[in-house]
Amino acid sequence: MIKERINIGIIESSDILYEGLLNILLRKQAGLKFYRLGDLDEFSRFNPLISLNVVLMNTLQVHNRMKLFRSFRKHKPGIKWIGVLHSLSDSDTISEFDDILRIDDRADDICRKVCSLASPENPGKSRNAEHSGLSERETEVLRALSEGLSNKEIADRLNISIHTVISHRKSLTQKTGIKSQSGLTIFAISNNIIRLD
Amino acid sequence: MYLTSRKYIEPDHKVAELVLENPSFLLVLEHFGVDEVFKDKTVEELCRLSDISVPVFTAICNLYNGFNFTAQNSLKRSDIPVVIRFLSNSHRYYVNEKYPEILNFIRNLSAEGNKKEIELIEVFFNEYFIEVREHLEYEEEVVFPYFNSLADTQRPVPGKEFSASYYLDHHSDIESKLADLKNLLLNHLHIKNLNSAKRKLLFALFELEYDLTAHSVIEEQILIPLGISAETEKQ
Repeated sequence: MIKERINIGIIESSDILYEGLLNILLRKQAGLKFYRLGDLDEFSRFNPLISLNVVLMNTLQVHNRMKLFRSFRKHKPGIKWIGVLHSLSDSDTISEFDDILRIDDRADDICRKVCSLASPENPGKSRNAEHSGLSERETEVLRALSEGLSNKEIADRLNISIHTVISHRKSLTQKTGIKSQSGLTIFAISNNIIRLD
Repeated sequence: MYLTSRKYIEPDHKVAELVLENPSFLLVLEHFGVDEVFKDKTVEELCRLSDISVPVFTAICNLYNGFNFTAQNSLKRSDIPVVIRFLSNSHRYYVNEKYPEILNFIRNLSAEGNKKEIELIEVFFNEYFIEVREHLEYEEEVVFPYFNSLADTQRPVPGKEFSASYYLDHHSDIESKLADLKNLLLNHLHIKNLNSAKRKLLFALFELEYDLTAHSVIEEQILIPLGISAETEKQ
């Protein structure tokens, strides 16, 4: 699917635990990309060109470093954090995370938790389902866009609010991966949604 | 773009080894205007010969190697001209080399495929190139001279009509249409039997996109913060 790849950071110093987590997630879900980080310091030096969607972290990593962890959470609000709980941890620490994986969680549950946090707008929706193409309304909006109509003009023509037009445009971009009006026009032509005369 | 061992670059590393590990440094060196035989030179020696400040050089090279800035705090107002030189040389590379190269690849595709869709791609790209040129010209004519004047301790603080934070607020990205183009080529257009021409075009797009992304990070995370602190020093 065109939707951006899901980037997952794993902060775990133990090779065994890291490899185990990686294998569980790789087996269950395609389209994930993994980056291993030794600790929170390495996270702060992480490639700024890659935006992580989810970070899985051994909860022990935040001991004595809560301040640093909170500042990451504050400055990178797009990232969801999952604590990986290997041993007993206090509930204050646990409450800092978006979700928690336990060492005895089943593989399916682990994948479900990670994936639903990675794409909150489509919880549990498979990649194939998103591929199913455009709805009738989206196609109409696309056709109008290709004619060069503005959001306001499209709203008038289809008798819907501008807000609805915008939300159709958003889902068009999500489904096709194309943002610009001229790019969407080429998409429409190549899919026979409009014709060149 | 290239696989690298993600080495964190230090001043005593040998330049030749860095290039062997990550060939995209050749482009970085070109952007810096370096024209030296590497021999055994270290990063520090190369910088001295080419009149580049070592912290700027390592910060930018490490960005291309996938590390966020850590040297940021040690950069000084006097480093601004080197950063501008780098950005300005990059502009020349985009306008004189990379965009024409991509246009050529699109034309090759169109000559072989002779399809309406590919002609539309050419129109799309030409329009996009005009936008990019305008963006770059504005930076050359307004933004860079302003930042260079901030580096100059003799000159008074410039007028209020333009500032580093104004530039940050109005800094638009020029990569998103490239992403559209990649998506159309990879996922939507019915281009058959043209694998080699299509691959060359896509590789060129990936290369350009990587450099443009680094370029914006340098503008927003090195140049603008340096400008803002120079503005406060001058006042």
